[in-house]
Amino acid sequence: MPSLDAISRNLMLDSLKAYAKKKITYDYIREKDAANECPLEVLKEMYDTDKLGVHLLMIPAEYGGVSGGTYDIYRICEQLARIDLGIATSVFATFLGTDPLNVGGTEEQKEKWLKKIAKEKLMVAYAATEPDAGSDLVNLKTRAEHVIKNGKLAGYSITGAKQWISNGGIADLYTVLAMAPGGPSWFLVEKNYEGFSPNHHEDKHGIRLSNTSGLSLDNVFVPVENLIGAQEGKGLLQAQAVFGYTRLMVAAFGLGAGWEALENAIRYSQQRIQAGGPLSDKQGYTHKFLVSHAANLEAARSYIEYVANRLDSGEHGLQTEGAIAKYWATESGNKAAEDAIQALGGYGYTRDFPVEKIKRDIKITCIYEGTSEVMEMTIYRGRWQEHLKTRGEFYSAMAKEMESLHALNPNVGADACALSLKALGTVLEECRINKLTRHQYVTFKLGSLIAASEIAWSFCKTAAADKYSETVKFDKKTYETMARVNAKNTALRTAMEGSALVLSAVDDPAGFAEKINLKEIEKKQKGLLADMDFIASSLKSSFKAR
Amino acid sequence: MKIIVCIKQVPDTTEVKINPETGTLIRTGVPSILNPYDHFALESALNLKKKHPGFTVDVISMGPPQAKAVVQFALALGADEGILLSDAAFAGSDTWATSYALSMAIKKIGKADMIFCGMQAIDGDTAQVGPGIAQQLGLPQVTFCEHIEVEGKTIIAERHIDGGSETVELRAPALFTMIMPKDHPYAYPSFTQIYSASKKKFSIWNAQDIGAESHYLGLKGSPTQVSKIYPPKKETETQFFNVSAAEAAEKIVEIMKKEGFIK
Ligand SMILES: Cc1cc2nc3c(=O)[nH]c(=O)nc-3n(C[C@H](O)[C@H](O)[C@H](O)COP(=O)(O)OP(=O)(O)OC[C@H]3O[C@@H](n4cnc5c(N)ncnc54)[C@H](O)[C@@H]3O)c2cc1C
Repeated sequence: MPSLDAISRNLMLDSLKAYAKKKITYDYIREKDAANECPLEVLKEMYDTDKLGVHLLMIPAEYGGVSGGTYDIYRICEQLARIDLGIATSVFATFLGTDPLNVGGTEEQKEKWLKKIAKEKLMVAYAATEPDAGSDLVNLKTRAEHVIKNGKLAGYSITGAKQWISNGGIADLYTVLAMAPGGPSWFLVEKNYEGFSPNHHEDKHGIRLSNTSGLSLDNVFVPVENLIGAQEGKGLLQAQAVFGYTRLMVAAFGLGAGWEALENAIRYSQQRIQAGGPLSDKQGYTHKFLVSHAANLEAARSYIEYVANRLDSGEHGLQTEGAIAKYWATESGNKAAEDAIQALGGYGYTRDFPVEKIKRDIKITCIYEGTSEVMEMTIYRGRWQEHLKTRGEFYSAMAKEMESLHALNPNVGADACALSLKALGTVLEECRINKLTRHQYVTFKLGSLIAASEIAWSFCKTAAADKYSETVKFDKKTYETMARVNAKNTALRTAMEGSALVLSAVDDPAGFAEKINLKEIEKKQKGLLADMDFIASSLKSSFKAR
Repeated sequence: MKIIVCIKQVPDTTEVKINPETGTLIRTGVPSILNPYDHFALESALNLKKKHPGFTVDVISMGPPQAKAVVQFALALGADEGILLSDAAFAGSDTWATSYALSMAIKKIGKADMIFCGMQAIDGDTAQVGPGIAQQLGLPQVTFCEHIEVEGKTIIAERHIDGGSETVELRAPALFTMIMPKDHPYAYPSFTQIYSASKKKFSIWNAQDIGAESHYLGLKGSPTQVSKIYPPKKETETQFFNVSAAEAAEKIVEIMKKEGFIK
């Protein structure tokens, strides 16, 4: 779905911010977090179509929604995460639960259920995970048996257990994945169906404002018209079809919560005086806790927007891209939040400052909607196929693109990025020749390196563009410097970590260093410290102490 | 009744800084908002519309193309139709030229019963545009209004005056400028309202569309011109005189003479 016009999108963001400023203060969140309580009254208001109606974003206008596109949803998810990741997760669960309908529902089903969700402000839950089926959903144990009445299929009887379901204890409607005779399928289950009951609300490390519960289904009768898509066996495909899109939302969570923590640290560093001056003037501090996180998160944003725009222009799937976005943004956000605690010292370790909570909350983004390791696997699989199919052309083409870009704009680090992409292609090829991808560890590592280089590729392009997107808060020079630092770091990382994989099998380390052009990559590191100094000073003026 | 609300997009002045070297506003990265006085004027108009079926509220703004955002915001809050006056010819207009352009647009819309303006815009603080429009249109004006009611054909405006309030009754057509109440919980639109706003009637008019004469517009049509903007230097010096009231009065006169304030 194409995105809304920028004015409408920004008005929605403004309304959300205005609501949060009034109702979701830090004191309020802190109290709910301590009490492990889901703020139902706030969620009700957020779903109230006269007040806000955030859930309408996922619903096309013809069914009473506002037809948000991927880009719009990314922006709202980022903002929700800045407010509270628990509340964000609750809204996300409704988005997620609505998705199988959006993707696989028949026209009658959309007409009935999407309209109902929009109008009756239904909170939805997405129930896939089971006690014994997490990352590997193929192991699904929940069964949906045929119920025959008068010789005709009247519906299904569902029995099983679901685990860790967001909104599990508070939703009105559940999309439940179960094994039907024809294979895994999605079913719509309303909260009042007989035999259906949610379990207790879990006591979690973070996102404590988000209700998470297991579900018990004991011979729950579900009418045949509640089988999404009216066809059995499509469940996993329907789930897969939207991963590119749903993982982008979690990527936006990592971005939003990560930046929130980082901004806290940047502002704090200007007020805290140690050893005769503010911490923000101490290079050992700024370059460790602030600079590379800012560059990593802006790199994540560039890639998220790249994928969102592709999805909005009508492309489908983009699973590998969705995985890259989620992996990079959530891992970067998590690290930024971790360092934000350290940057605030003892204060960071207390609950008087929000970074402590953000750190607990953000960890979930590396776990749900596919763990970081599942992302590494997915990225590796997708790109390994490309590498084989194109006989290594995939990354040399991207490298060439970066070389041309460097000729046009020498400031964004596209030269370093080109070297990184070439080195990556070489590492992949060497892994193929030496059959190293038999080792799962190697494949995960490759997934990680692939993500880093492709993120750098995207950031270089974004930073070299004539016009920046509405989200870029930095001036051109700062933005270009961030892209350059990211590209330099990535090139060195590809060389070092790529070598570490390959050298376990090759006999000629020097020859390999030459193949990946290590010398050139090392040369590109020149000026790195000055670049970091510049970013540190820009961050200080962009996020002043309050 | 037909109400027209004049609104302006302004930088959020809580975040604006002045470049001390050039004396100009640093606007990059500063969010734009609907002038809070106009926001209140708009809400007042929309409240009347809610109370009186048949009332309509149109909004009009003069500004660069990006000022469309405040018009769309007003439409989302419930205004019926939006107009943006946007033309390079308007650039640099002072309060007189702005009042002229807005009054020409109001004439073109036609048949306005009530015109609402914010008392002033927070970026210029002149409070001249509202009264200027009234003057150009030859309408009576009630300034600094806190509350407006309509009963039959009578408009009852409560205006803020020093130490109290004054109630004015009058007939349409007239122009009102609205103050900004303290701690007023400003309304924001829901997602559905925002979505529907993007489908409402919105027009962009240029100088020709409103039949404005170009020599009355922009920098060359502006009798006042800003030569410099600078943050006032805060260099106060306090002297204390421990003297009687009579002696103090003499002392004050003496100092005022010395500083050239009186002769
Ligand atoms: C707060 C919360 C909310 C959630 N909300 C929902 C929801 O609304 N709906 C829903 O359906 N689910 C939800 N989940 C479930 C979530 O998606 C799963 O927890 C997640 O997919 C991981 O599955 P798991 O917990 O079974 O871990 P496992 O799959 O057991 O993984 C454990 C560890 O092993 C690693 N691992 C897994 N497989 C492999 C492998 N093949 N090779 C190497 N390493 C591997 C993982 O990366 C992880 O580090 C939620 C979970 C939580 C904690």
